[in-house]
Amino acid sequence: MTTSTASPRENFRAWLFRPQVAGPLALLYVVIATALLLIQNRSSLWFPLMNICFVPLFLLSPLVVISAPLPSRLKLSAILFMLVILMPIIGMINTSYLELAIQISIFAGLALGLNIVVGFAGLLDLGYVAFFAVGAYLWGMLTSSAPTVFNINGWLLPNWTFYIIIFVAIAAAGIVGVLLGLPVLRLRGDYLAIVTLGFGEVIRVLARNADAPTNFTNGSQGLHNIGKPPLPGFATDITSGISGALGIRMDNPSVVAQQLLFYFIAIVMLVGLIIVARRLQHSPIGRAWAAIREDEVAAIAMGVPLVKMKLLAFATGASFAGAIGVLYAAKQTFIDPQSFVLLQSITVLAMVIVGGMGSIKGVILGAIIVTLLDLHILTNLSLQLNALKNIDFVVPILNFHIRDIPQQLEPAKYQPFVFGLILVLMMIFRPAGLLPEAHRKLELQKTGVAPEDDPNVLAEAIELGEGN
Amino acid sequence: MSSESLSSRRNARIFVPIVTSPLGYRIRGSWFYRFIIFPVGQILLFIIAGTLLLTALSYLLAAAVPEPRPGIVLADQISRQLPGMILSGISLGFVYAMIALGYTLVYGVLKFINFAHSEIFMVGSIVGFEFMRRLFDSGSLGAWNPVILIITVVLAGMLVSGLLAVVIERVAYRPLRGAPRLVPLITAIGISFLIQDGVRAIEALTRNDFNLTYPTNQISWLNTPIPMTFNGAVAGGFNLGGTSFDEIGADGVAYDEFFLGETAHDTLTVGGITLGGTPIRARDVSVGETEFETLTIGERNLEDISGASNVVNIRVTSIIIVVGAMLMLVVLNWFVNGTKTGRGIRAVSQDQSTAGLMGINVNRMVSITFFVGGAFGGAAGALFGLNVGTVTPYVGFIPGLKAFTAAVLGGIGNITGALLGGLTLGLIEAFLNGILAYFPALGQRYTDIFAFSVLILILIFRPSGLLGERVDEKV
Amino acid sequence: MLLEINNLIKSFGGIRAVRDVSINIAENSISSIIGPNGAGKTTLFNLLTGIYTPDSGTISFNGRSLIGLRPDQVNARGVSRTFQSIRLFPTMTVLENVMVGMHSRLKLSVIQTLLRPKAFYVQEDHVQQKASDLLHFVGLSGQGDELARNLPYGDQRRVEIARALASDPKLILLDEPTAGMNPNESDSATALFRRIRDELGVTVVLIEHDMRVVMGISEHIDVLDYGQKIADGTPAEIRANPRVIEAYLGRRAAGTTESTGVTDGSVA
Repeated sequence: MTTSTASPRENFRAWLFRPQVAGPLALLYVVIATALLLIQNRSSLWFPLMNICFVPLFLLSPLVVISAPLPSRLKLSAILFMLVILMPIIGMINTSYLELAIQISIFAGLALGLNIVVGFAGLLDLGYVAFFAVGAYLWGMLTSSAPTVFNINGWLLPNWTFYIIIFVAIAAAGIVGVLLGLPVLRLRGDYLAIVTLGFGEVIRVLARNADAPTNFTNGSQGLHNIGKPPLPGFATDITSGISGALGIRMDNPSVVAQQLLFYFIAIVMLVGLIIVARRLQHSPIGRAWAAIREDEVAAIAMGVPLVKMKLLAFATGASFAGAIGVLYAAKQTFIDPQSFVLLQSITVLAMVIVGGMGSIKGVILGAIIVTLLDLHILTNLSLQLNALKNIDFVVPILNFHIRDIPQQLEPAKYQPFVFGLILVLMMIFRPAGLLPEAHRKLELQKTGVAPEDDPNVLAEAIELGEGN
Repeated sequence: MSSESLSSRRNARIFVPIVTSPLGYRIRGSWFYRFIIFPVGQILLFIIAGTLLLTALSYLLAAAVPEPRPGIVLADQISRQLPGMILSGISLGFVYAMIALGYTLVYGVLKFINFAHSEIFMVGSIVGFEFMRRLFDSGSLGAWNPVILIITVVLAGMLVSGLLAVVIERVAYRPLRGAPRLVPLITAIGISFLIQDGVRAIEALTRNDFNLTYPTNQISWLNTPIPMTFNGAVAGGFNLGGTSFDEIGADGVAYDEFFLGETAHDTLTVGGITLGGTPIRARDVSVGETEFETLTIGERNLEDISGASNVVNIRVTSIIIVVGAMLMLVVLNWFVNGTKTGRGIRAVSQDQSTAGLMGINVNRMVSITFFVGGAFGGAAGALFGLNVGTVTPYVGFIPGLKAFTAAVLGGIGNITGALLGGLTLGLIEAFLNGILAYFPALGQRYTDIFAFSVLILILIFRPSGLLGERVDEKV
Repeated sequence: MLLEINNLIKSFGGIRAVRDVSINIAENSISSIIGPNGAGKTTLFNLLTGIYTPDSGTISFNGRSLIGLRPDQVNARGVSRTFQSIRLFPTMTVLENVMVGMHSRLKLSVIQTLLRPKAFYVQEDHVQQKASDLLHFVGLSGQGDELARNLPYGDQRRVEIARALASDPKLILLDEPTAGMNPNESDSATALFRRIRDELGVTVVLIEHDMRVVMGISEHIDVLDYGQKIADGTPAEIRANPRVIEAYLGRRAAGTTESTGVTDGSVA
């Protein structure tokens, strides 16, 4: 029976994945998703629910285009169009979508870094958020107007140094990664997990307590008023110009312009991180990591220096988190020890696992899904429930009053539950993730990418789907 | 799991003089010796040795730093706090040990760290609360004989936690047996969050709150401390920065929030302190440099905590923990080393497939192990709840992490190791808690970090723990 | 002598797995180490490759000591190995497995990897070409893009050999390479061992239970029993040695082709 049903299904798949079919379908998808997003009626009772459906559809469209069998030049232009033109315009219309896109980029960057540690090298790091905290606190301490020792002594940095501090954070987090890694990377996998978890807690407790005797972190009060990268004067003008031309009404163009600046910084960083991750993966270093992940004893016997390669993975992952941490602190303008709890590490881990450990495209999909779940879907579910409660909505046939759902069951409060469920279900039913890493076919053919190929870095980032 | 670790053979060297006589041999072979005298003796010996060592170290520190703060003589403070530190260290240590047993037993049979074990412990503490609370609500709490009540509370916690552990193994771990190591570990993390929020949902729905306070104040027997007179000692379970009442102000406690100067001494009573939103009973909080946002003062006589009397109040719950844990450890030792099922578990821990070939039902042994480990976690949870008073669905994380540290400290997979590791960690923590308060730059807020530092140091320098672990990766 | 082992001792707890073993391996030779299960053969390999550190004794390879080196450093010095229980990287492709074997011969710099100058691609081309050639050498042409775990057992052994050869070793240690093979397969494996020596000039040392293979291929045989060397010599000498016969026949039935799954050596 299986063969008889599988055969038409496979024929269908083959038909569907032909460029002539899938290409236009993918583009059609983008158009429909954008349209659905824009035609929603914000005053509708069911707006949150529609939002839950349509926003993910739209935000997944870059991935759909990447996966479609289109000529790479077309793909590249489509992605560029979506990232550089479509998303900013949508963002001007509704800044909450822009906010989501920024958060997704931030978490995708984090997930890419953790993927190097967990997915590539097979080291379970449960204290990953600590390195994120290193970057965030670095920028936070140097620019916050909280009464820290830096502020009191007038050591604060001007905001333009943001672009420099990102690189300082890469180095700083990398060094912290090496310092932590040196002692613990000799440990077996499960010990490593718990030690890193402990380390994550240690960093948080340090952040909480390092306000006395010298105030470095402002303790549990947190750092507020953290500096943002400066907005060039013309940015606001351009933003309001474009929105005026398109007939979009904006209450505060300079705020939107600032958000757009963050969006572009986040996208550029993400593209950079994708390229770094991909180049590492498809190199002798990446192969050594994979070997360590599969069998440490065999790897070291085949000449792979275990500790050195593990340290490299750990430090690279940490650097990613450090860089993203700077962006995060600048974006949020407020951080406190509670921003760096274990749940954050687990959230990022869930992204890596949902997408597929070791698969860059998968990890980005995971970041989109989990961030949406975290910041968008659960929140909107709560909004929807509240909207229904307000009008005392009754589920037809069942005759159930939505109002009867207790306040304590509000979906937004149960992120950990949802993430825990995701981890368990994924591990039991699909441990390789939704988009597992595809194996490259390398035998007897010349290397896929010629040296003079791909002058455009974005092109490389985009082609990660066709690495084989 | 080191099969013989709790049995007499391995550590018999300690008792060599007693044992070498012909009579000694007869005693040694007897059931009573093997399953009662030896393990209890071992525990007592270790407690005494550990306590003596830590006391000596404390006084050494006092000799090195006589006056960490002007006007405060460290040696005096240590002398006054010593009995309190020892007792709280031992009871804390037993709690850690009982949780650590769960990690160690499961590691023994499956070579896998059951990350969700800290939540099994938490469930035990919640079940204990629910049990007592329901009795209280029905009005029959007062009618119970206190000893039977406590035994029942602990048994309820054990039963539910044990069954929960078995269910988790069945549903989440068994399908993954043989998968790469990361897979069950990640599953366990997921389970851990599921249980936390699941319990929270249940409690929030039924009680509209998930900070759950044991109705222990209804049982006077539990609340009346047993006064014990020590020369120069004071304030057993309650540590006010180690200073007598009049010195608190000088000691760096924020006066504006915790102002004792204007209160009439004879009426001030201390019962429950709310610390930053998480209610913690005052008797477990040491008031050193802690910041209070709200301080609720309830019901304890000032005399008990002031420096005026030379009375140490031994808390009944501490004694219950110590006695209960000792009893259960003896039973566990008998179960593992003296029963047929225990032999099966030991066989499975040595070699799963061979044990299976020899007719042992491996799955059943794994389930039993999870039940026993879970039951110990549940018992620890119920005792912990009785002692602390207020529990939440998030109460398992830190004790779980520390208990794991204890298991690793003793040598994971090794039952005696878990016990010694727990006691060591508990004693060290209690001593640090007592002494760090006198060092302005450090303070007690770093004691939690200390446990992790211990963990990291052990793993680096002696990854097999104090007593060693069975590591056999064949190449 | 390419490899000189003198008075090597290794104990685990109270068990002395290798006691005072001295073995010499001549350059460009094919030798075997035989002995009953638990005689310490695999432990000896683990000592040679740095997985265990000997309690005492010397190991000199090409005139330099190997003692105290990590396994990866030993590999870089030119000693490579296979494992008794196959240890491929299961979810990597066959070709990637072999490419990992070249690790100690590659120039690795993070900067090069990230910036990808021409040299990087030249090296990658070379790695790919060489790995493909090695697969051809062991007779697995065209299977390079399969996942290692999907290959049949005998082919997995060949991949392991190709992987071990990828680091251009001077000496290759094969731990029971024909275990679990039928006579046909072990004949072709034996031919492969010979080609490793003849065509690649790599010295070969086997741990082997299959006496047909051992006697057919070895130029020199060392016999271990209870962690001690009890004999060495040519196959004819070993066949006639009464101590060897006693070690084998004294304790077990005469079956010489048996191969059990029990790991020997490490726990003994």
